[in-house]
Amino acid sequence: MTAEIRVEQQGDVWRGTFRAMAGPCEILLDLDDGLLAHHLIERVFQETRRIEKKYSRYLDDSIVQRINNSAGQTVEVDEETSRILQFADSCYHASNNRFDITSGILRKLWTFDTNSTVPSRKQVKSLLPLIGWDKVTWKSPHITLPDGMQLDLGGICKEYAVDQSISVIQAETQAPTLVNFGGDLHASHPRRGNRPWRVGVEKPGAEDRAERMVDLESGALATSGDARKYVMHQGKRLSHILNPRTGWPVTGAPRSVTVAAESCLQAGVLATTAMIHGSQAEQFLEAESERWWVTR
Amino acid sequence: MVATKGLFKSSLAAACATLGVAATPSIATEVDTAALVYAELDRVSAIETVVAVKHDFGAGRLFNFKLVLDSLTGASANGAVPRSDVLQIFTRPSGEGSFTVQPGETPLDDTFKDSRKALSIGYTMPFNRVTKMDFGLYGSGEHDYSSLGGNVSLSRDFDKRNRTLTAALSMSSDSVSPEGGRPIPFESMLPAGLDPLRLDGDGTKTVLDGILSLSQVINRSTVAQVNYSLSLADGYQTDPYKIVSVVDPTSGVPQDQLFEHRPDTRTKHILFALLKHHLAHDVVDLSYRFMTDDWGITSHTADLKYRHEMSGGRYLQPHVRWYRQSASDHFRPWLLDGEALPEFATADYRLGEMDTWTIGIKHGRPIGASRSISVRLEYYLQSPSAPDSAPGQLADVELFPKVKAVFAQVGFTTEF
Repeated sequence: MTAEIRVEQQGDVWRGTFRAMAGPCEILLDLDDGLLAHHLIERVFQETRRIEKKYSRYLDDSIVQRINNSAGQTVEVDEETSRILQFADSCYHASNNRFDITSGILRKLWTFDTNSTVPSRKQVKSLLPLIGWDKVTWKSPHITLPDGMQLDLGGICKEYAVDQSISVIQAETQAPTLVNFGGDLHASHPRRGNRPWRVGVEKPGAEDRAERMVDLESGALATSGDARKYVMHQGKRLSHILNPRTGWPVTGAPRSVTVAAESCLQAGVLATTAMIHGSQAEQFLEAESERWWVTR
Repeated sequence: MVATKGLFKSSLAAACATLGVAATPSIATEVDTAALVYAELDRVSAIETVVAVKHDFGAGRLFNFKLVLDSLTGASANGAVPRSDVLQIFTRPSGEGSFTVQPGETPLDDTFKDSRKALSIGYTMPFNRVTKMDFGLYGSGEHDYSSLGGNVSLSRDFDKRNRTLTAALSMSSDSVSPEGGRPIPFESMLPAGLDPLRLDGDGTKTVLDGILSLSQVINRSTVAQVNYSLSLADGYQTDPYKIVSVVDPTSGVPQDQLFEHRPDTRTKHILFALLKHHLAHDVVDLSYRFMTDDWGITSHTADLKYRHEMSGGRYLQPHVRWYRQSASDHFRPWLLDGEALPEFATADYRLGEMDTWTIGIKHGRPIGASRSISVRLEYYLQSPSAPDSAPGQLADVELFPKVKAVFAQVGFTTEF
């Protein structure tokens, strides 16, 4: 077993933890066979690392880096990447151009660290021509990214890895499983004895509790938003959710949005898109989702 | 499972299917639990456990369930006046047995021991995006008291959900069957062992409440709410365990102890206003409540909470509450021997003039990845007003001592 993984038995559950995708990752398996648990957790770790390596925009040999460094040349991508880009393309159109994997370039200007400053309008404006999935030529399996533009699959990858982990485990066992990567999670079945998984969802600024506890029988939850990530500008609090169409933080965005859906990817895209709707987040969720929680 | 709601979500579900990620039916419920320990110094102590579960069926349909288990032990003031000089012996309200009170001490009935179980269920049913209806049922039981009720409310959102109007109606039916039966009002308390005459049957009471509520989002960080409620109670409202002392007009020495008597009807009007304001991190919560009733009581409550957010999901919440109440027209700390009996009389300090202060602090923090705990500590001080003058020995005793209480509450949410 790889050194970075910790596996322990907690009550009836085998728990595996490791760090990946810039955060803590946790796998809970409601089964007795410790050998199988070790094996499955190792498989999830490998799969998560594979996805991270392949799609990170920081690692030189990632496919994302290859596309970002293509200097306007057409790149042929593999089958999995093709399916992910097709998914991003669908999200872009379905969200009315709000969910855009080319908007990550704005992070050059907006860092949202404790001492970060607000960029000038001019700086933001200079980046806008480099944003917009509609400027990309995409016909599976060929992608042509205009020079200077960048793809960022950060808003998809973690949720994709959570769902893939469930698939990896379900290929080998029907044991109830919960995969939780930093609050984005997916449960395959209720626990043995038909008990739900009890999970905490961050709820910044909550009235009575620091966390919202949810009994999750099955399905996925994803949360967008972080109360600690923001900058103050002219006395106003700017959220870290950027509007790809203006390059500026969304006004009136909730502190956090949590959405329940059938897959983590679906929940994650819904939560992010709701955030981009700013003050209209609740109206959007009302129309699009059956179970959601918003903290303002 | 194919999502049917929402255009965006359907295309998303289709895109996820094309991508081939695992999909599982989504079933999620929110949970909450808390335990409260209340100790009135030298008097009643209570331990309360609350378990609350909320289930979301989706599409705005919510089911909630709440179970409360209380256990109360200790002593409670029975309404009689103290005596400065000699021991006083009181029969227990049931007529069985007696207890002794030291000179100068407030007579406290030490038989106060009970457990209460309360269960409530509720269901929210949306009609459309802006209108919803709530239904609820409630039942509680103690060994001598039971209550059964139901409520229905209709609310509608206006102005892009910035304004909500709610109308609610609730009704409850209570029944009291004190140990040894209900005392006859103004009948003397007999020495222990004698079989006192009692009223037939249980005491029953019906309470009807109507509430109109308006809540309004003022801006991104401020919400206000105003409620008006009318409450009509009809039936047995006398406390079968409370008595009033009849004292000698000159010496102030108790001559007799009579069971109290309260009117059968009570109408209350209540106005409530709440303002909630979010600062950059913290939240301020300010409320005021005004109550007036046809028993002559008016009361004011002001409540302020300030939630200070700290790092790592921890928070600290100081709380202060002030309450002032005027006495009921029927409040008589004692009756004078030889005077005609009034129509109603009670010496229950809870219907007298008083001020109370509550100060407290609450701290909450996450423990581990998905558990959290909160601890609340509160100090309560009740200062009943002393009568302007009192005959004889009553001037030398403390008729209505201050009541001090400490609350400790631990709330926790656990995982797996």
